[in-house]
Amino acid sequence: MIYKLAEALDKKFNFDEAKAHCDIPCGIYDPITAQIAALTVVRMIDLMKELEEGHADHNEEYQNSMARYVAVKEEHAEKAKHEIRVIWGDYIKQQHVDKHPELNGLVHKIMQLGSKSRQTADRDQAVQFVDAINQFAEIFWDTKGIAIKRAKAPYKPGLEMVYPNL
Amino acid sequence: MLQLIKVSGKSLFPEYREGDFVLVAKIPFFLRHIRQGDIIVFDHPVYGLMIKRVERLVPERDEIYVIGTHEFSVDSRTFGPISWKVLVGKVIWHIQIPR
Repeated sequence: MIYKLAEALDKKFNFDEAKAHCDIPCGIYDPITAQIAALTVVRMIDLMKELEEGHADHNEEYQNSMARYVAVKEEHAEKAKHEIRVIWGDYIKQQHVDKHPELNGLVHKIMQLGSKSRQTADRDQAVQFVDAINQFAEIFWDTKGIAIKRAKAPYKPGLEMVYPNL
Repeated sequence: MLQLIKVSGKSLFPEYREGDFVLVAKIPFFLRHIRQGDIIVFDHPVYGLMIKRVERLVPERDEIYVIGTHEFSVDSRTFGPISWKVLVGKVIWHIQIPR
């Protein structure tokens, strides 16, 4: 009601505007890239397991596929870590940490889980990696005042993901 | 002594959003008691009327360092400290756009 009154007065008297000026319109940051990369890590571990179970003979075909899955797992675990580091380093400010004091510890945990996901084929660790990045996404969207929703990813491995509820 | 001003831009997002209104006190009592963390309005010689948060004060040099919350905020990191002479007033009431 008070806002409507101020708005009506503004229309009549045309108040001065004070600029909360930004240099360029907006930085584009979105944790979804990290979330998808972490999900890919879990998918690669699943494919590795399926391959292992389906091939008694570790022939060239097997070696080739396994090498590719491991390479993609490596690449995406590092990509997820990189994306989180960029958002944490470039976007996150002190007031965000003040509001979410667990944030720095969470980022450290993501870095460690990402490394574990590269070093091992442990699915539980990789799922924890996805979960930790989802927690990061939840905090990220909160800093932007945007509500979130949780839904299963519409592709394998179909884990629950955090999305902005736009 | 009091002035209603409309906020434009995003450098104080999410606390202050485009379309919010602020009531600015120009009363000397308030201006003498500006502190770190206060939101102030000032008339910058290049950028015009701006609203920012006080980062720190340097009274002996008649300077105020101002800062926004947005990563790309144009503030004292860009244009240095502002002079007390360009200070318009201190925000004493924030009327938020319905959210």
